[in-house]
Amino acid sequence: MKTAVNRIRGVERDIVQVPLAGDTAPYYEPQGNEVAIFEAAYKKRLPVMLKGPTGCGKTRFLEHMAFQLQRPLVTVSCHEDLTSSDLVGRFLLEGADTVWQDGPLTRAVKVGAICYLDEIVEARTDSTVVIHSLTDHRRKLTIEKKGQEIEAHEDFMLVISYNPGYQTVLKDLKPSTKQRFIGINFDFPAEDIERKILINEVPGISPETAQQLVAAGRKARLLKDHGLEESTSTRALVYAANMMNAGLDPVAACQVAMINPITDDIELSEALMEIVQAHFAV
Amino acid sequence: MAAINTETQAVISALLQQLKEASLVAHREVEQVLPVIRPHGDDVALAWIEACRKLFDYDREAGKAFIRGSREAEKISETVLPWTAQAMHFMRWRSSWRALEGFMQNLPRAFGSLGHSGQRRWAEIGFVWCGRQIESGNAYFATPVVELSGRQGIAGIEQLNTPAEELFESRKLLLGTYLPGALRVRNLLGAQAILPWALRGADIMQSGRARGEAYFRLESEESLALLLEHLPGFRLIDRNRLLAMLLDIWYGGDFELKESSWSPEKGRPFVETDGCSLFLPAVMSNRDEAVLAVLHAAGHMRFGTFERRAMKAMFGGAGVDFPETGPVSWAPLFIRYGEDALRFQLIFDLCEDLRVDFRVQQLVPNYLQRLIATARATGARHPGTSAFFDLALASAEEALGATRAHGVRSKRFGPLFDAAATVADAFRVASVIYSNDELPHVADLEAFHAAYLPGRGPNATRLVHPQERREQSQQTQSQSEQQDQSQEQGEEQEQTPQNAEAGDEQDGGKRQEVAGYGDSSGAATQSAQRSDAQQHGSNVADKGVPYPEWDYREMRYKRNWSWVQEKRLSESNLSETNRLMKQYADALKRLKRAIQSQKPTRTAPLLRQLDGDDMDINAVVGYVAEKRAGRSPSPAIYRRREQQQREIAVTLLADMSTSIMQHLPEGGGRLVDRVRAGVLLFAESMEEVGDNYSIAGFCSKYRDNVSYYKIKDFDQPLSQDVRSQIGGMSGRLATRMGAAIRHATACFEGIESRRRLLLILSDGRPEDYDDGGDRRYLHEDTRMAVKEAVAKGVHPFCITVDTMANQYLPQIFGRGHYLVLDQINSLPNKLPEIYFRLRR
Repeated sequence: MKTAVNRIRGVERDIVQVPLAGDTAPYYEPQGNEVAIFEAAYKKRLPVMLKGPTGCGKTRFLEHMAFQLQRPLVTVSCHEDLTSSDLVGRFLLEGADTVWQDGPLTRAVKVGAICYLDEIVEARTDSTVVIHSLTDHRRKLTIEKKGQEIEAHEDFMLVISYNPGYQTVLKDLKPSTKQRFIGINFDFPAEDIERKILINEVPGISPETAQQLVAAGRKARLLKDHGLEESTSTRALVYAANMMNAGLDPVAACQVAMINPITDDIELSEALMEIVQAHFAV
Repeated sequence: MAAINTETQAVISALLQQLKEASLVAHREVEQVLPVIRPHGDDVALAWIEACRKLFDYDREAGKAFIRGSREAEKISETVLPWTAQAMHFMRWRSSWRALEGFMQNLPRAFGSLGHSGQRRWAEIGFVWCGRQIESGNAYFATPVVELSGRQGIAGIEQLNTPAEELFESRKLLLGTYLPGALRVRNLLGAQAILPWALRGADIMQSGRARGEAYFRLESEESLALLLEHLPGFRLIDRNRLLAMLLDIWYGGDFELKESSWSPEKGRPFVETDGCSLFLPAVMSNRDEAVLAVLHAAGHMRFGTFERRAMKAMFGGAGVDFPETGPVSWAPLFIRYGEDALRFQLIFDLCEDLRVDFRVQQLVPNYLQRLIATARATGARHPGTSAFFDLALASAEEALGATRAHGVRSKRFGPLFDAAATVADAFRVASVIYSNDELPHVADLEAFHAAYLPGRGPNATRLVHPQERREQSQQTQSQSEQQDQSQEQGEEQEQTPQNAEAGDEQDGGKRQEVAGYGDSSGAATQSAQRSDAQQHGSNVADKGVPYPEWDYREMRYKRNWSWVQEKRLSESNLSETNRLMKQYADALKRLKRAIQSQKPTRTAPLLRQLDGDDMDINAVVGYVAEKRAGRSPSPAIYRRREQQQREIAVTLLADMSTSIMQHLPEGGGRLVDRVRAGVLLFAESMEEVGDNYSIAGFCSKYRDNVSYYKIKDFDQPLSQDVRSQIGGMSGRLATRMGAAIRHATACFEGIESRRRLLLILSDGRPEDYDDGGDRRYLHEDTRMAVKEAVAKGVHPFCITVDTMANQYLPQIFGRGHYLVLDQINSLPNKLPEIYFRLRR
């Protein structure tokens, strides 16, 4: 994949990309039976919901699975102004003519891609209703504006992600939407797996450093109940490892990657600093 | 020369004769001192003897004191006349012999440390005090000069004296009251601290003499607090939250942190533990030491120093009886060593601390390294016990070595590094080291304290509550805790329920409710006396609205069990509201600005409308495009700037139980002040947002008496009346949360909105007088009430300031549906913020 990507760096390309032969799979370290569950769901083309905290590997998992299943992956990051036209498509003016342009969801439905709606709760509930008909036995998408409907490609699959935090008390998905999905719970990986991830993601980092980072990260997560909105993610650990790899002092690397971004609370960052210093004291 | 002065000689002899007749003792003493004085010349001797005579005639005690002090005074000053003249001054005041006695005692030191001119000034200051009030003079001269000057010469004395004179002039504060406190303040905090301390004292003096004097004697809470506040070093009490987080990180447990009664003159501060709680001193010298100390003390609790079986084995090994129940004293273990008890105690602590620290190292990476580094930086603090300090340091290094693979374990300390080692093993090892007799005897407490490595401290300072083995379930632990509590007198007795105050129970069946503490203004108290029951007369409706209550023991609802009476809050306090508005004016301004900046996205213009005052450009493009494509799109191409239809309705439900009247541990008022401010800021910012909201408070006493105070209803404007009611909020009675949630849910009926949020502001667990101490009962009922609310489309969300809330809120509200604020002071600002985060 490296070479193929390098050739097209900086060049626009279509969002629907089938993995090519010779590409290498995005790295993913299974934490449990999620791969088996996803494969089973894919076999039956059931929609899947990925739940878990930020930075625990939901997106990476999906990239990995899409590659393994040799399906293109279409990702839509949802936001509060996302309308159904943004998903399904709209008419555009072109010269004197009007042209219909498919939205990403429609594209995915047509070519049989895996469509990934990231952080679905952010979107307005009325725009999420368009997926209802896609997620049950009907498997078809209605394009209201054109007065058409599309039977989904047989390989099409819908995946959503969502991060249950206290911000979402009022923004929960409708139960009627939720119950159409197979739910896979993600959490931060176990110690040895997280260590493996660090070593794989940041080549050149020593196993001891990885071990220390993981141990520090696990301790930092214990502070979640003390006012951290998001706890130290695996991604943050990878960042810290990268900073160290780039030659930064370990304590400073942890501070900039794991502490400063997640809290402004002085005492919290002091407590986090204690953890880092305990693990990386010389 | 002697021949010339025969006349003088004769006078001297005559005076001596008179003296002899007056008092044999005095005469003998004069005769003893005279040879020292004579070399100064006969005139001088005459003057001196005359002074003796006069002083003796004036007051026998004064005379004796003068004569006795003369020898030393002459020796140091090498003069006679100056101090003799000074001593004569004392005859001007009545009953001044005590002052003179002090003067004479201090003379040599005054000359020695202040020099002649300094001595003169010292005496002059004292004379002025004697002139003001003789007791003050006594106090002045009785104080050793070295203490008075603080080793800074006469300048040190002036420093002390200036505020004292001012205070005497303005407040008639006696020097005797002021001096001991001022000296301690200077010793602890340095000279610059005296003036602020004294000024504060002067203010307090103005509000009451007794209170002021207690302050100056450093006996009152406020002066001690002021002292502790200004002590240099790491403030453990202020950093309580950080330390609790650290304990949570490394031990993952709930440790109870309490403030110990340490005060500066008790010597070096230590973190102590009794097997139940950690006791923190107000200040430790630096952050490293404080963190080490907290981790170490928690290590004792975690690694079985107080484990019953190990302690029993230790007591058994020492041949001392171990009490089967109740708190255990260490004293019997050490008494056997008599004079040498301190030495043994140090050795024992060294071994036990080493054992514990070795285990802590496995939990906290680099703990020993930090201990060693901090100890090296400090160095041995006292020459008398440096041997102990060095040995402890060496043993810590050995422990560090032992953690590494193939580490060497010496015969002496090796057994302590065994995972199965207990406090009894530490005792055994200590006994061996003690009998080897290599370490010096320890006599004084200062040396004893100095022998400990940073973070360590005497383990035997408190009565111990032995712990059962950790493997046993939490239940037994809490049982034994209860046991301990009942056995221990002096500790605070747990009231059931916690939120209720004993005083409240005494008013029996009376309906009348008065605020928990008398903080409300006169008007408020008056209006409180007109209780609602009386206003409405006692009819059936008075009983209120019945709600079912869930009984988990029977797994069923009890019908019409709890009765909620809706009331109007009778107290109001506009001045408090105004005060709060002023205090939080900046915060409010900031909040409002934040809301306004969010507004465009929030009350976004309505898009794709059939009519309106503006074109919706996206809709227009879509419309034109679709039209061209031959379709007939809906002509909804306008946008309208109109208040959006209300999407959200929220009720803020405040827990108004007695517990909100508590004073904040960090000072600065009571919890209720923060609650009022929070509710007020919430209301003001809600006005800015435009969401539909209501505010209510609740409290309860028994199942049939749950009061629900509607402070502001939905659609009711935020009037001055509402504002002043918020200012009058106060705590009373207990917390039957389930009934209140059910009622609040019912109040949402008929409110049109897509989303309904019930924000509950609480400070403790649900409890009531009639729950029989079964906490689970109301927990379960509240949990069910929350479930019912969700089923009715109301989202309850709990904000609490109870730091122990993590233990019960997850079960009641569910993960992610509550928030623990561990800084109470942030409540006023946080409350509106949390709401906006929720509604985002």
